[in-house]
Amino acid sequence: MNTVIESLYQFWQYTGFANMTYQHLIMVIIGIAFITVAIKKDWEPLLLVPIGFGMIIGNIPFTEGLNVGIYEEGSVMNILYQGVQKGWYPPLIFLGIGAMTDFSALISQPRLMLIGAAAQIGIFGAYTIALHLGFNPAEAGAIGIIGGADGPTAIFLSSKLAPHLMGAIAVSAYSYMALVPVIQRPIMLMLTTKKERLIRMKPPRAVTQKEKIIFPIVGFILTAMIVPSGMALLGMLFFGNLLKESGVTKRLAETARGPLIDVVTILIGLTVGCSTQANVFLTGNSVKIFALGLISFIIATTCGVLFVKLMNLFCKPENKINPLIGNAGVSAVPDSARVSQNVGKEFDKNNHLLMHAMAPNVAGVIGSAVAAGILLSFLG
Amino acid sequence: MNTFVLLQVSEQVAIKSADIASKDPHGIIISGVSVSVVFAALVILFFAYTFIGKLSSGQIKTPKLKLPSFRRKAVKPAGEPTSEEAAAIAMALEKEYGGETYAAIGLALHQYLSDMVHDNESYIITIRRK
Repeated sequence: MNTVIESLYQFWQYTGFANMTYQHLIMVIIGIAFITVAIKKDWEPLLLVPIGFGMIIGNIPFTEGLNVGIYEEGSVMNILYQGVQKGWYPPLIFLGIGAMTDFSALISQPRLMLIGAAAQIGIFGAYTIALHLGFNPAEAGAIGIIGGADGPTAIFLSSKLAPHLMGAIAVSAYSYMALVPVIQRPIMLMLTTKKERLIRMKPPRAVTQKEKIIFPIVGFILTAMIVPSGMALLGMLFFGNLLKESGVTKRLAETARGPLIDVVTILIGLTVGCSTQANVFLTGNSVKIFALGLISFIIATTCGVLFVKLMNLFCKPENKINPLIGNAGVSAVPDSARVSQNVGKEFDKNNHLLMHAMAPNVAGVIGSAVAAGILLSFLG
Repeated sequence: MNTFVLLQVSEQVAIKSADIASKDPHGIIISGVSVSVVFAALVILFFAYTFIGKLSSGQIKTPKLKLPSFRRKAVKPAGEPTSEEAAAIAMALEKEYGGETYAAIGLALHQYLSDMVHDNESYIITIRRK
């Protein structure tokens, strides 16, 4: 009888219930909250569901040595986590993004590209503030990139510069991307007048197939020559777009924007969620990272909108740009462009800003990859 | 391997970070340079695509190669036969095959248009039920 009781007691010691701490419980609740928000509010469900469930997986307490934890070398989760840790999931996601993105809006209105550059100021604003909060430059760079509003780029850079902060940075980046409508709308309204919100932009010109094919080749050569450290992200982004636009690699493009990006999204979401183990994640630094992430989003949106207003000072009346597309300079594709469209429609039901907003939006993707490359060359 | 080792930054990153911290403690230089580089990269792209767009829409015309007058007649676009060559090919075909050529072209067209030959997608095997 004693043996049975001892065995049961020993088994109990191995269970999650016996090893549960309040920190684990908090993380499990946060994971459930992510899943709930994704399902109920439809906020970035493709990311928040895997991340939320990953958080639950990562915070089931276990006895070390069972080779099941994400940080235990050789465990299944650890092997899947290599893609995040070594930074090869993000370029694969960029391949898919390139294969699903239509750059026509940008090609037809290249001046809107500059809005994508202006919005990247958020990254460096957050970098400077992070330094003052006591983070070292490498950590500050990894935190600042949250302002680029690009999850894969944030994971890529933090895996190189600050792997110990990656969980918090990734969760923060994806959370704020999901909250783009909530964060950006009040800033856009605060910085624009009613007259500016009613500006109607000229319809973009038609883009030829030849231009679409030239775009990724020229774009990659020019940007990679300036920032070779961003080659992995930029190369995959433009390569994916070439697969889409060349017209002769339809199957490859479909794989890149379909099954491949889906598989990598599942793996990246799940493993990033798993990496938020309570002992690594629940620290004072995570709170600071969340605050800095929000600040960088606010700076990025503000700079994007204000830069459009600045551009309008030099534009002819018929070429004015609606400043409501300035927020789309952050690269949360296509959510921030959708915010421009929705806010624009609130003031003029027939003013469709989506096609115009897609230009700074995709420029933001290029801009954030360039910014990540610059930070990597300085700090990596 | 424990959690701490897995989450450590590389030595190179630590050294560079310490170096930057001593040279630019407030991050103003790095931020200024980085913002300028991002703008420079996108401004270069802006000029490149503006130029390509103008070229494509015919706003900028490419200079045509001027050849000496005695050579102009001899030059023809690649792959396009001259009228003399076309007449010679037509005569040769007529002599060799008579009306069979037209019949073959007609049959091939008929098969192609009625989708009898094969599926449009290469590398995909399809079975057509009779």
